[in-house]
Amino acid sequence: MTAILSGHDIEKSFGGLKALSKFNFEVMPGEIVGLIGPNGSGKTTLFNVISGLVRPDSGKIAFEGSEITRKPPHAISSLGIARTFQIVRPLRDLDLIDNVAIAVVYGRNEIFDMREARGKALETLEFSGLAHKAYSYPGELAIEDLKRLEVARALASNPRVLLLDEVFAGLNPKEISGAIELVFRIRETYGLSIVMIEHVMKAIMTACSRVIALHHGVKLADAQPREVANHPEVIRAYLGVEYAGN
Amino acid sequence: MAIALIGLVAFPLFGPPVYFISFVFWVFLYVCLSSSWNLIGGYAGYLSFGHVAFFGIGAYATAMIGKIFGLSITMTLLATIPAGVISSFIAIIVGYPCLRLRGPYFAVITLCFSFVSQLTVKNLEFLGGADGLWLKSMDVPVLVNRTIFYELMLFLTVLTVWVSYLVGRSRFGAGLRAIKEDEEVAQTMAINAPRLKIMAFALSAFFPGIAGGIYACYLSYIHPDVVFDVNMSILQVLMALFGGASSWVGPVVGAVSLTLVNEGLSTFVKAELARIIYGLLFIIVIVFMPNGILEFFSRKRRKIER
Repeated sequence: MTAILSGHDIEKSFGGLKALSKFNFEVMPGEIVGLIGPNGSGKTTLFNVISGLVRPDSGKIAFEGSEITRKPPHAISSLGIARTFQIVRPLRDLDLIDNVAIAVVYGRNEIFDMREARGKALETLEFSGLAHKAYSYPGELAIEDLKRLEVARALASNPRVLLLDEVFAGLNPKEISGAIELVFRIRETYGLSIVMIEHVMKAIMTACSRVIALHHGVKLADAQPREVANHPEVIRAYLGVEYAGN
Repeated sequence: MAIALIGLVAFPLFGPPVYFISFVFWVFLYVCLSSSWNLIGGYAGYLSFGHVAFFGIGAYATAMIGKIFGLSITMTLLATIPAGVISSFIAIIVGYPCLRLRGPYFAVITLCFSFVSQLTVKNLEFLGGADGLWLKSMDVPVLVNRTIFYELMLFLTVLTVWVSYLVGRSRFGAGLRAIKEDEEVAQTMAINAPRLKIMAFALSAFFPGIAGGIYACYLSYIHPDVVFDVNMSILQVLMALFGGASSWVGPVVGAVSLTLVNEGLSTFVKAELARIIYGLLFIIVIVFMPNGILEFFSRKRRKIER
């Protein structure tokens, strides 16, 4: 099987700081890949590079076999790569249904009429558990729902690959279970590949089939969740040298 | 709606004083200007403070086309359409670099653009320089003359408002709104922000270009200080913001109410006092109703309904 999304030797520095260094990755169709690493390890930078918001210094990114490295963000997302933002960024002056409808009408849905798009948006909101708040404004929502809105908006464009940036952060255990369930439902219903950045280990362990660990922009591990969690390098990166020995 | 429109079309036939016809002509002009400004300023959130430049360019383009080809005044009026196209074309050229700037930087650069256009025209001999340009005038009685321009401006204004309404409901308008809210997010939603902005800017320059042309024929004399007047730039922005820049209705309400208030105040109150009241009104609206009077009242109603 060939990868739907892959990166080869990606490098990105901000001033003297190396955010990503010789980073390679692959995502297979239908796979849920976790991306972990301490704060500042380059996870979000990787998402920004993939989605075109940040240009890599060198390296290549390929989507479905063709290179997308230097394409502008809108071109990349219209190919079918959707993302969410760690710090939620809803369109605040628009109600939820319009937030999602805009993603529908500009996404890969063959829908160009706003009325029709709103119908489709309502379906996506329902899927994400937000149907009853379709006509609320983002300012009236709690963080759990705002995270769901981010996911709904990304889904609405009908992507092939979904990049989830800390969708579970700031949620309580009950909300996390709900969100994990949403991730599974997304894969089952839409059959797409998911890359998720996550600190909540419970989410990583249950949802992902493979986990990539990053530290200072360097890949430490790329294996099954359980293996990565016990990887001495990974433990050292999170907890320090003394915990890594045993 | 249709009845109101028929009423407006028929208005000059009831034989109102010439003064009224000219006044309503001005109302239309401002509705047209602030509605077309709203395409880029309101929908996309790019506050162009030099939009009068496109009005002036349209006026001069019309006058020059008329002069170069020795057109009659009727034919010159038709030249307002290519003048609108020229205006859009210049908007594309200017917009390409300027629309990369955001917020106050965009506002300042567009303001500069209008000053540069004014100075350029003032210093170009073949455009009449600081003496201005004369156009042919219509050889008809004043009332007929005013009525013709009234109807023309009405037509243009209705067209502008209609386009603004259509854009507001369309995919294009939805994309502009997303850009206004968060351009980076918009781009990750597959919205081609640079292209949409240029398109909106060009469209928002088209109608002022035609309006400028009609105005040039109406006055039959244009001068850089008149058709590139910075006050006009500021007024069309304020009118749109006053009414509410997020929908097509806002600029219409803003332009109509402010022109009426201004005219009423200057007629019935002393001119100096009128200025002060006018200014205060702006401050009150901007401070207490930042989204315009329309949204202020509709939000209030929503609160009561809950």
